[in-house]
Amino acid sequence: MKLHYYPGCTLKEKAVALDISTREAMKRLDVELVEPEGWTCCGAEYPLTEEKIVGLAAPIRVLRQVRDEGGEVLVTTCSFCFAVLKRANKALRDDPLKRKRINAFLRDDIQIDPLTKARTTDFEDYNGEVQVLHLLEYLRDRVGTPKIKSRLKRDLKGLAVAPYYGCRLLRPQEEMAFDEPDAPRVFEDFLEAVGCSAVDYAFKQECCGSYLSVSLPDAATEASYRVLRAAQMEGARAVTVTCPLCFYNMDSRQAAIKEKFLDFSGLPVLYFTQILAWALGVDREVLGLGEHAVPADSLFEEVPTTEVRT
Amino acid sequence: MTVKTKKKEDKRIGLFVCHCGVNIAGVVDVKKVAEALKDTPGVSMSTDYVYMCSDPGQQMIIDTIKEKHLDGIIVAACSPTLHEKTFQEAARLAGLNPYQIEIANIREQNSWVHSDKDKATKKAVKIVKSHVAKAIRNENLEPIKVDVKKRALVIGGGVSGLQAALDIADHGYEVILVEKNPSIGGKMIQLSETFPTLDCSQCILTPKMVEVSRHPRIKLLTYHEVDSVSGFIGNFKVRIKKKPRFVDEKLCNLCGECEKVCPQIVPDEFNMGLSFRKAIYMPFPQAIPGTYTLDEDHCLGLSPVRCGKCKDVCEPRAIDFDMKETIIEEEVGAIVVATGYDLYTMQALGEFGGEKYEDVVNGLEFERILSASGPTGGVVRRPSDGKVPKSVVFVQCCGSRDTEKHLPYCSKICCMYTAKHAMLYRHRVPDGQATVFYIDVRTGGKAFDEFYQRTVEEDKVLYIRGKVSKVFKEGDKLIVWGVDTLTGKKVEIEADMVVLAMAMVKTDGVQDLLKKLKISTDIHGFVAEAHPKLRPVESLNAGFFLAGCAHGPKDIPEAVSQASAAAAKVGDLFAQKELSHEPTVVPVNDELCSGCGICVTMCPYGARTLDPSKGVVDVNEILCEGCGACAAACPCGAAQQRNQTDDQIFSMLRAMLRE
Amino acid sequence: MRVKLKAGPEQRTFIDRIEELSGENVFACYQCGRCSAGCPMASEMDLLPNQIIRLVQMGLLEDVLRSKTLFLCASCFTCESRCPKGIDMARVMEAVRHILDPKGKDAFGPGEISPELAKELPQQVMVALCRKFAK
Ligand SMILES: Cc1cc2nc3c(=O)[nH]c(=O)nc-3n(C[C@H](O)[C@H](O)[C@H](O)COP(=O)(O)OP(=O)(O)OC[C@H]3O[C@@H](n4cnc5c(N)ncnc54)[C@H](O)[C@@H]3O)c2cc1C
Ligand code: SF4
Ligand code: SF4
Repeated sequence: MKLHYYPGCTLKEKAVALDISTREAMKRLDVELVEPEGWTCCGAEYPLTEEKIVGLAAPIRVLRQVRDEGGEVLVTTCSFCFAVLKRANKALRDDPLKRKRINAFLRDDIQIDPLTKARTTDFEDYNGEVQVLHLLEYLRDRVGTPKIKSRLKRDLKGLAVAPYYGCRLLRPQEEMAFDEPDAPRVFEDFLEAVGCSAVDYAFKQECCGSYLSVSLPDAATEASYRVLRAAQMEGARAVTVTCPLCFYNMDSRQAAIKEKFLDFSGLPVLYFTQILAWALGVDREVLGLGEHAVPADSLFEEVPTTEVRT
Repeated sequence: MTVKTKKKEDKRIGLFVCHCGVNIAGVVDVKKVAEALKDTPGVSMSTDYVYMCSDPGQQMIIDTIKEKHLDGIIVAACSPTLHEKTFQEAARLAGLNPYQIEIANIREQNSWVHSDKDKATKKAVKIVKSHVAKAIRNENLEPIKVDVKKRALVIGGGVSGLQAALDIADHGYEVILVEKNPSIGGKMIQLSETFPTLDCSQCILTPKMVEVSRHPRIKLLTYHEVDSVSGFIGNFKVRIKKKPRFVDEKLCNLCGECEKVCPQIVPDEFNMGLSFRKAIYMPFPQAIPGTYTLDEDHCLGLSPVRCGKCKDVCEPRAIDFDMKETIIEEEVGAIVVATGYDLYTMQALGEFGGEKYEDVVNGLEFERILSASGPTGGVVRRPSDGKVPKSVVFVQCCGSRDTEKHLPYCSKICCMYTAKHAMLYRHRVPDGQATVFYIDVRTGGKAFDEFYQRTVEEDKVLYIRGKVSKVFKEGDKLIVWGVDTLTGKKVEIEADMVVLAMAMVKTDGVQDLLKKLKISTDIHGFVAEAHPKLRPVESLNAGFFLAGCAHGPKDIPEAVSQASAAAAKVGDLFAQKELSHEPTVVPVNDELCSGCGICVTMCPYGARTLDPSKGVVDVNEILCEGCGACAAACPCGAAQQRNQTDDQIFSMLRAMLRE
Repeated sequence: MRVKLKAGPEQRTFIDRIEELSGENVFACYQCGRCSAGCPMASEMDLLPNQIIRLVQMGLLEDVLRSKTLFLCASCFTCESRCPKGIDMARVMEAVRHILDPKGKDAFGPGEISPELAKELPQQVMVALCRKFAK
């Protein structure tokens, strides 16, 4: 089965592990991921004032392309991309004025095929036809727990993993419509489906410091520390994330965290797709574990492989 | 009922145009209106006056009716909701049938909404003309009379229901009190001490409970529920379901042997699940009636083969596993709804962890923890490990005043009970710290603010003005994240226990009952009053009265006052020999009715039924409130409202539209 | 010093502009402070989120525009998810940033990221940061 997939720019450069593990895992669930032709950056931030609506053009261009390629669903893993695409899509569905303005803007697009040099113009208006799903939603609603379970190749033996939602997946609830902001379940259900035990801790939906990581590194260090510590105190062996920025703040920043907070001994951070791929039998070498600042290899050694590599 | 009326051609109509000071005369040229209608066919005199509703104004109407032998009058003035009754009474005094009075509204629908004097005057003329067309077609009507059954049904045995039942019974009327739980007492019996005087709640309520159970005119039906209600004001037929208790109240001698042997352990509702009871139990020691009740849902099986341990040990042979649900029927003239409230679920506020952490409790749970009769015997201990909490955080407005995600209204009593909780906690645990998060402290009642000030000044409770964002656990402490908006500081407090002042909401499941009663509610499911200021204890639906928290959040003094007021209103009703009902109802013309039944579905009062034997619709005129929904819907013209017939409405339109 | 509140339409202009840009009704805020209570960055802020919206209500434009807070908001929407009045503070913050002097200095521009750091950072953070804090 073919499914449109938007990796987003970070996954092509810094978070290759997330991209690769997603592809490998989905292959084992009989889903072939296809990227929309000529996709561009989504803009990373959804414009929050009425006057910055031009920021909707980039994500809508991507969604229009998916529609024009006959796609009904677009999945993504990065929380930032997911938020921008989902909110932009909803804005166009719900707000006739935004629909009109953005389509007027995008109507003048010219697309040139890099090979044939053929030009495409006169794009059809995009009205929010595509459904934007996070891979976690896709796994729960379209693939389903029974199928995931039936394809498991490794027994993760209830490895205690703390799901980290962060900010973008859950909020604003009305627009994201992802889960209950203060009592979410999807991530937990996912972890349980692949054979982990989901650690319940109070910071799963708190902010990791987000982009302040650059402008105010100390604040991000502290915010990330709180998340990691809370997870560790509840017995987590790792924290799992969906977003490269969360990963950066909690993984790359751990050296700084340890320097500042002496009580913290370190905790590996994983992309959820690495766990999924591993459970589905993907070989350790393709999980991109080399990208981790905090070594996570040991977590993937405990479990005996019951399947040969692809 | 209609009585003989003159033919329309012979009618003599009088017109009285009111100035209402400058309210009307400031915009409408009232003299011109009177003048313009003088020669309209049917109008035999017209005049104006500064205040028609004043004594001299009414006298003028009375005198003119007599003098000029008028057959009908039109008062062009304010809305009929205000003075129609006044002028009908004046007409009656002058010997004219009150249903020959027409009110032409030239104030709310004209002078108050327009400013152009010329156009407003023209509009007034048209309005009045249309009423002339109607007035000459009005019939003489007589009010419909019905008998009153002088017995009342009170639903709900909380403090409001008890008070209403006692008052009505003391007026000399019989009362049937239906309570769904095994005992009366409601929420008040669960409270520890009550603000603002700190009387022990059980000490002041149990005498009332006993009085109710002993009153010769009160029939107490606990563990009963209303099954259906039919009929109308003064004449209700009620079917009441008796739930099987499996214990004969008269035989049970409260020895408690059954409870000792019962193997089934169930969370105790009276203690808000903070302790356990058996499947056969007595809700609390002072329960009324004093009898054990077997809870069918938790019993191992109602058969001696399955368990039957309790039956074996019951000496007086009070236990009967074969008891079945039965239905009793009663006839009453009035119904008081006193079904109380419940607390909003803590589950809805996930960020406070009420569902996750045992030591995050709601207000009623804390009442039990404070209560001398509670699971800890009045020593404040937290549920998780029984430790005495040294730091308790109270959070007000949990779910209340949250327009966006929860409930928009103020629950009104939580400010006061939180002050009480903090105060009592400080009394019980003198070295404990009490912190209250609030956004406003509302202490409107008598001696309430003094009580609150004492909590702060004498008991040194720290009030922090700001909301809590989140409660989470670290080790065996609860961490509360809040803010003090007065200093602009984000604060964090370590607590051993957190008490959430959950909003008051409608009683769980009460909507089913209210549907059976067919009475209206507000958008939050509380029973609606007929008028927010002038008729606060009556339902819009005749014959129903409301008392206590069934109507909305309130404290005990207010609930009791409302109960007494409702009882007084029931007394008013029962003091009448017979009831009069407005005759402006919508009968059916059997000749024209096709039996389609559309009107039956339109009627919000259940006044219309399709008679299958006759193939036409039957109308219960007592239930008909004259809203006219059926008349508008009837495709055959068979449903014609008295003095509001199609003919009258069309002639009004014609008069209005003809230049 | 006593703060002189502007009266009349002059005061409304600023408030109206914020409301128009953000799409939020700033007068719906009843100052419960829940936004600040949960804000992960509040400890770094010179004015708490509820104080920002309070100053907007009072029309004290200069105080708001001077605040560091505007560049500490991470748009994590924790405040939005808990506000009992359904106000999205992140939008209010964005609206205030929007009316800052357009010729003024960037609060944080691409120039401030060293090439070494840039190599290490996820792309999304650089795009997001410039969108938020640069002119
Ligand atoms: C934590 C807390 C502390 C409080 N402290 C105080 C205080 O200190 N002082 C004070 O003045 N007030 C206090 N109150 C308020 C007080 O509890 C109420 O004002 C009072 O209980 C209202 O009484 P009621 O009879 O209207 O309702 P309830 O007490 O709720 O009684 C309603 C009764 O109706 C019954 N019922 C419901 N539905 C049906 C049905 N369908 N059929 C038959 N029966 C039905 C219920 O079982 C119940 O017995 C407090 C409230 C709370 C939550
Ligand atoms: S009574 Fe007080 S605590 Fe309760 S909702 Fe009203 S203001 Fe909030
Ligand atoms: S949470 Fe909402 S209402 Fe409360 S202070 Fe913040 S913006 Fe105002």
